[in-house]
Amino acid sequence: MQTPISRRRFLERSAQLALAGSAAGSFLAACGNTTTSSSSTKTTITFWNAYNVTDPENQTLLTKVIPAFQQKYPNIVVKSQNIPYNSLLQKLIATVAGGAGPDVVRSDIIWMPQLAKIGALVPTDDIVAQRKSEFYPGPLATCAYKGKYYGLPLDTNTRVMFYGKKLLSEVGASQPPTTTEEFQALSAKISALNKNFYGYAEGGLDAWNILPWIWSFGGAVTNDDYTAATGYINSPQSVAALEYLVNLYKTRALAPNLLGGSSYSPDDEFGKGHVGFILEGPWEPPTLQQTYSSLQYAMALVPAGPGGSSISVVGGEDIAVMSSSKNIDAATTFMQFMTSEAAQVPLGEVGQMPVLTSLTNDSRMPAYFSAFAQQLQTAKPRPVTPNYTKIDTILTNAFNLAFRGQASAQAALNSAAQQIDPLLSA
Amino acid sequence: MEISSLDRSHAGTRIERRYGQKVRAFRRYLPVYLFILPGMALFGLWTLYPLLDAFVMSFFNWNPNPVAQSPFVGLQNYLEAFSDPVFWQAFRNVVFYTAVTVAGQIILGLAVALLLNRKLFALGFFRVLYYLPVVTSWVVVSLVFAFLFSSSDGPVDWFLGDVLHLIPDTQSWLGSTTLALPTLMILGIWKGIGWNMVIFLAGLQSIPNELYEAARVDGANRWTLFHAITLPLLRPTITFAVVILTMGGFGSFIPMFVLTQGGPLHSTETLLTYAFSNAFSSFDFGYAAAITYIFAFVVFLLALIQIRLMRRKIEY
Repeated sequence: MQTPISRRRFLERSAQLALAGSAAGSFLAACGNTTTSSSSTKTTITFWNAYNVTDPENQTLLTKVIPAFQQKYPNIVVKSQNIPYNSLLQKLIATVAGGAGPDVVRSDIIWMPQLAKIGALVPTDDIVAQRKSEFYPGPLATCAYKGKYYGLPLDTNTRVMFYGKKLLSEVGASQPPTTTEEFQALSAKISALNKNFYGYAEGGLDAWNILPWIWSFGGAVTNDDYTAATGYINSPQSVAALEYLVNLYKTRALAPNLLGGSSYSPDDEFGKGHVGFILEGPWEPPTLQQTYSSLQYAMALVPAGPGGSSISVVGGEDIAVMSSSKNIDAATTFMQFMTSEAAQVPLGEVGQMPVLTSLTNDSRMPAYFSAFAQQLQTAKPRPVTPNYTKIDTILTNAFNLAFRGQASAQAALNSAAQQIDPLLSA
Repeated sequence: MEISSLDRSHAGTRIERRYGQKVRAFRRYLPVYLFILPGMALFGLWTLYPLLDAFVMSFFNWNPNPVAQSPFVGLQNYLEAFSDPVFWQAFRNVVFYTAVTVAGQIILGLAVALLLNRKLFALGFFRVLYYLPVVTSWVVVSLVFAFLFSSSDGPVDWFLGDVLHLIPDTQSWLGSTTLALPTLMILGIWKGIGWNMVIFLAGLQSIPNELYEAARVDGANRWTLFHAITLPLLRPTITFAVVILTMGGFGSFIPMFVLTQGGPLHSTETLLTYAFSNAFSSFDFGYAAAITYIFAFVVFLLALIQIRLMRRKIEY
């Protein structure tokens, strides 16, 4: 019988394949080097990223940004490799183990401390010392680990509230909700319109989904230097935020798909006009324009909690040179170029929010960026620690327990705090 | 030194002769070894070496970066597993999943084999139909099940809820901590029936017809035929199926990885999904290697016990 055996070996094989693939890739790249170096010492660097092959961002990268780089630096050839987001970290780590990774990587900001901790990234302290004032401080902070910088910020984003204008007017509101109280009342009214309608829909129970509510209620995951969770993730404010969401779910104001096992897509249902509110990032308007062009919608700040603050979550990517690279100088040149206006402007025009303070209110950027820029002024990063992926799992489990009624919000978050504390000291 | 033929001791001749035999045997089997060599080389490189490497890894706090230090931690990874509640939950899930799916596959596979082991209209068609899930990729059938069991608008939900009114309108399958694992069991059993059918068909056809004829002459009814002849003579086939299926059940990975990622709340976590997430999302490679070796040890023990228990000879 073939299947059980192949399942058992799937793990090993996948790692091996990744290794073999990258080894072959770097071998080919090395061959490319030797053949071209005889005529005009050219260096080839590989750039791994998770851009969708069909997205405008990827087209711009290949047809505008990389050609511009090669015009400026004719001796460096850049090979861009698209790797699906969900397997990028796994592939990266498998090739790091084989000593044959890419030269430059576009990494999700939440992976940076984890990669820095194992020594996979080249420090950038000298570059940051010169360019610190060019970057927004929030995105730059995602490159810091234990007092050193690794890589540079590449793009940033956050989630704002998208609202459907038609549904809002059907429940008699002319303005979007600005507080969690108004949000709850309007969501309940929209859900009551139709059996298939929901006021608010969310994609899951990850930190990315839930933390904007916890922060807006005045709660937190840890203290500011990420050394303690007890007293923060189980503070009265954090508990109140989770109870608020569980209540939305129980009263049908929030769609049940966030518990999983469903093909329900909040973005699509919002596009069809079946959902009043979603929280989404700057990639959403071009998608809505493409698929649901007749939808009347607008963007506003995440509803403010009882304390009056509207705080969303910072997302984005950093660009970093891998310490296993054989061409660190060329790779660093490319990293510098990608964080300069020459690359940030064309990529910004297709929806990737720039990280340079000089591009604030720049007329070349899409107009809808203003909503995100405003939200970013108060947005917070998820805990910056090499144990982030574990902490995310613990938080997701705690939120699950509360939503499923298997524990009170207080008990679930107390237990999460206990589990997170030892991960922060490490 | 002079050696006459008379000086040769008997032992010396024997050794020489044996040596000559060995050379001849080697010459004769050389092509065989050469044919085996590429396969063995690949096996050694892609299977044996990683297996041994993982064993070494399980005693280290292994850093995937080859230039970084990996501290030796002795048995700490193994001890950590024994005090890790998620590991035990994954272990229980795997035992439960294996018990149900092995029993289900054997019973249904045998039933289908009995049905299709006779002259039947479109026999080949039905055999192909039952075998189809076996040759279909796990990822594909998993995605089909994700669609079938999707809550609120999936076909299963629609049929049981909106047509038969047996379940509430908002029933969640893969998103439920109690129903997600049973849903995966249905998938595992359904996919395995065809393989069991083929194995049992082969077993059934090796049972001599005379035994049935003689028993019928003695007045045995259908149940007696099955109970007294078919089942005992299928024992080796059943042993084989149980051992292979148990190893497969313990090694379940793809459907969980594709459909639930071990969730919700670790309710579908298996030893291998847990090892995978420890290695490739938390970078705890040493711990992941320890989990896979505990898994391998348990499967090895189970296979030994099963083969011992079911080895009794049947003679008629």
